[in-house]
Amino acid sequence: MESESPVETKKSKSKTPKKAKESILKQKSPAEFFAENKNIAGFDNPGKCLYTTVREFVENALDSAESISELPMIEITIEEIVKSKFNSMIGLVDRERIDEALYDDYETAKAREKRLAKEARAQEIQAKNAALGKKVKEHAISKGAKSRGEASFYRVTCKDNGRGMPHDDIPNMFGRVLSGTKYGLKQTRGKFGLGAKMALIWSKMSTGLPIDISSSMRGQNYISFCRLDIDIHRNVPHIHLHEKRDNKNKWHGAEIQVVIEGNWTTYRSKILHYMRQMAVITPYAQFLFKFVSDTSDKNVTIKFARRTDVMPPVPVETKHHPSSVDILLIKRLIAETSKQNLLQFLQHEFVNIGKPLAERLIGEMGPEFSPKMAVKSLTDQQIVRIHQLFRQAKFDDPSGDCLSPAGEYNLRLGIIKELHPDMVATYSGSAQVFEGHPFIVEAGVSVGGKDVKQGLNIFRFANRIPLLFEQGGDVVTRTALKRISWNNYKINQTQDKIGVFVSIVSTKIPFKGTGKEYIGDDISEIATAVKSAIQQCCIQLKSKIVKKMQAREQQERKRNLSKYIPDATNAVYDVLKEMAKSNSSKKKRYEEGDADILRKVSDHLITKETLTEKLTQHVEKVDYEMALEYATQTGVREEPREDIYLQSLDDKDAESVICMNHDAL
Amino acid sequence: MADKKKRRRADSDSDSASQPFKNLLKSDDQILQILESFTSSFSSSSISKPLTLADLALSTTCREVSDLSLSSVQSAIESLVLQLTHQILSGQGFSFTVPSRSSSNQLYVPELDRIVLKDKSTVRPFSHISSVRKTTITAKILSLVHQLCLKNIHVTKRDLFYTDVKLFQDQIQSDAVLDDVSCMLGCTRSSLNVIAAEKGVVVGRLIFSDNGDMIDCTKMGMGGKAIPPNIDRVGDMQSDALFILLVEKDAAYIRLAEDRFYNRFPCIIVTAKGQPDVATRLFLRKMKMELKLPVLALVDSDPYGLKILSVYGCGSKNMSYDSANLTTPDIKWLGIRPSDLDKYKIPEQCRLPMTEQDIKTGKDLLEEDFVKKNPGWVEELNLMVKTKQKAEIQALSSFGFQYLSEVYLPLKLQQQDWL
Repeated sequence: MESESPVETKKSKSKTPKKAKESILKQKSPAEFFAENKNIAGFDNPGKCLYTTVREFVENALDSAESISELPMIEITIEEIVKSKFNSMIGLVDRERIDEALYDDYETAKAREKRLAKEARAQEIQAKNAALGKKVKEHAISKGAKSRGEASFYRVTCKDNGRGMPHDDIPNMFGRVLSGTKYGLKQTRGKFGLGAKMALIWSKMSTGLPIDISSSMRGQNYISFCRLDIDIHRNVPHIHLHEKRDNKNKWHGAEIQVVIEGNWTTYRSKILHYMRQMAVITPYAQFLFKFVSDTSDKNVTIKFARRTDVMPPVPVETKHHPSSVDILLIKRLIAETSKQNLLQFLQHEFVNIGKPLAERLIGEMGPEFSPKMAVKSLTDQQIVRIHQLFRQAKFDDPSGDCLSPAGEYNLRLGIIKELHPDMVATYSGSAQVFEGHPFIVEAGVSVGGKDVKQGLNIFRFANRIPLLFEQGGDVVTRTALKRISWNNYKINQTQDKIGVFVSIVSTKIPFKGTGKEYIGDDISEIATAVKSAIQQCCIQLKSKIVKKMQAREQQERKRNLSKYIPDATNAVYDVLKEMAKSNSSKKKRYEEGDADILRKVSDHLITKETLTEKLTQHVEKVDYEMALEYATQTGVREEPREDIYLQSLDDKDAESVICMNHDAL
Repeated sequence: MADKKKRRRADSDSDSASQPFKNLLKSDDQILQILESFTSSFSSSSISKPLTLADLALSTTCREVSDLSLSSVQSAIESLVLQLTHQILSGQGFSFTVPSRSSSNQLYVPELDRIVLKDKSTVRPFSHISSVRKTTITAKILSLVHQLCLKNIHVTKRDLFYTDVKLFQDQIQSDAVLDDVSCMLGCTRSSLNVIAAEKGVVVGRLIFSDNGDMIDCTKMGMGGKAIPPNIDRVGDMQSDALFILLVEKDAAYIRLAEDRFYNRFPCIIVTAKGQPDVATRLFLRKMKMELKLPVLALVDSDPYGLKILSVYGCGSKNMSYDSANLTTPDIKWLGIRPSDLDKYKIPEQCRLPMTEQDIKTGKDLLEEDFVKKNPGWVEELNLMVKTKQKAEIQALSSFGFQYLSEVYLPLKLQQQDWL
């Protein structure tokens, strides 16, 4: 097609105009690409869009606060906007329907008849059931499927106490897709700096309203306010308003507000789950989540209080590991490096290459390479050679120093706080490597708790964000379901309420699929690490469970023994009675001591009650002795206590939340 | 022998294509001659009195039980109960000393060719949380057996279980304790007057008396006679059979019974439909001892077939305390043997691949003494584990349903192809 001459194109255009159109070469801006493929970034449908918007805002806010080592305090509000309010917002007058039959939800006379008949039948059945005293099932109020016009709109606001943004950078940070601060090799929650921009694109697609950003940096005496939207075709910001305002409260951070189409009804539980799990993995943050609508019974306000002020260290940016780079990346590093020669380049732009190793590598590359050669003069072939050598040579594994795991303490706190389990065990593995990227697996296993369903409850975290979708294929789910024999640890996989928490942090999380929602089961290094982390937790739990079972046995021993006394004495006495009969009738001769007993049985001097009494006394004696022995063995042991975090009272909204001391179970 | 005419001899020409090796068969008379000479040599060789435990000077003492009369069982229980009463009255609670039937307490004695129980026992005190249940059940079973002794009746294991379902919870528990009790009292389970439901059947050229009634097993119809659960009422065995054919599966048994195989080659056909129960094992042993006939076994070509064979031959671990009465020495493995699969060209679609579990069982069997003592068996089992293929007796049906009775077995007998 492209080789066709313009004349021919013109000619065919006149005949078959449709076909000719295809031959025009078009270019797409990145913003357009993402607008058309928004599912890549998790914006599949209105409901998911609302969820992802919340998620991206929260994660950006956390990253921002952590980057200045400030304990995060995040407020997220979703405000439902009904259609009339929305129309007035955009200055559209509500119009009454005149031609009813024009609309999609118009009910024809026939359909109406059918519906009424159906409703009458349903009522009849219900009345019958009620008359028979049957349990009447709560009849769901049948809501007509929302017709196409009835979209719901939400204003999502997220306010944090993070770093804030420089005044002049704000337009580009929001109005230009694929520009961002998170492109270095570093453990971050987001990766492409796409989230907030996608929310903006979605708002533009569904409501056409711009995004409002307020931001202030530490020590700045003004607040930057910016209202902008995005020019999708050119991938540039379109600024409505960009000004500096007073900063009276010395606030720093960012507040972002966007109005989008969404679906709260179907994604309510997902969003709440997300907040809850986020609170588990970041107990040092305080979240205030609000849902506001006109119908007050739908309103939700949840506060996830801060439980600790111990924050994981800020992940540091690291250099690439030689075994993880590709040719393009080598070229980019060469272009960006400030080093002059090859030796320095190898030594300084990669981890785990010292001077001696760099020299050995250069020697191995071939005669046309020398340590002193200018790195910028490398030819394409030479770069390929370097890449090949990087692939084959043996390097030390990268250290996990650049990673910032949640930490056992935080993980444990989060689990205790959100699930209130009967017991919990946590484990933090050492750093391991997958394709040149270090990763750390931490796990927690809990048993029991409130609001926990029976069986396995799996909570997955990657770089300290919860993963909620596509659980089935995930490495954690599969490991917990198939590769852990819970029975070995005295845990009942179907009966017990088991919580499995696995957090994986890495400079590169190998997500599967487009939505960044699960980690595949095909990476054996990760699968092994996950399995052993869960097992380590189970081993800790096992000893606790065994101790608990022993304690329970102690408590119930007397009852369990006494339970069998009647059966045992009956059995013995039945035989004695028969023997006594034959003894008295002189059918059989017994020795003197035995005959004495049998005589007493006949004379009712020894009865069932005598036996029962003696046996009961014995059981009591044994129980006492064993309880004493148990006590001396275990001793009076003080359970180790954990540090508590008390919220400071001078907090401006001092809560009545009192943190109780949690015994380490 | 007059019944022979009943059988319609199939036209050998038309069948030879679909039933391979049929042309190798000699006439029935010739086969009978071969068998007769074998049987007579067998019975003369086995006249010597079987060894008992007492004949051997074993380094470890072993426990064996014997048949006891009802009254001695009764007194054994009574003295035990008196002991218990003394213990209880002195305020010490009570406990039983039960011979251990765990596998660590089992010993294979090659001279006897069976498993026997060593003398280890465990104490079962009432006042311990882990044994209180079993102790109570033991006392209950003792009192129930005592009643049976007084009334001189037989009950089944199921009856026993139903006397106190709440205590026993499931029949496995009462059955296990029943074995403990026979061990403890030193008598066989049949002496306790507790029997298992009938499971085994016998058909063929055997006449015996069951509780006073004479039974002719050639006139028992197709299903044969159920093997009576109380062997002590069986007697007066007579037979003109040349061998006993032990069949693992019901299906093969029905085939042979319907074809009246025992009339073509005089024999007694027995099956316990899978794992043999006590009654069948006792019956087989009695037949073998009284009639002095060789026993040929027809089992599946898989590890479980061999395992069943071993239970008949040297006893199960669960009942090893009574192995002297339950085992039938010198059982010959007739088929289906792993080497038969290729020898008789059993088609691929009738062979099954062995599962991991099968292979593991097979390898475990190779370590067992009763297999090791027979080099032929070891060779066959090695072949099975190597080829990883198994086949049921029914695989022979691929050559026609009657191939088993008309070609395979006669040919095997003619060639004296047993191990």
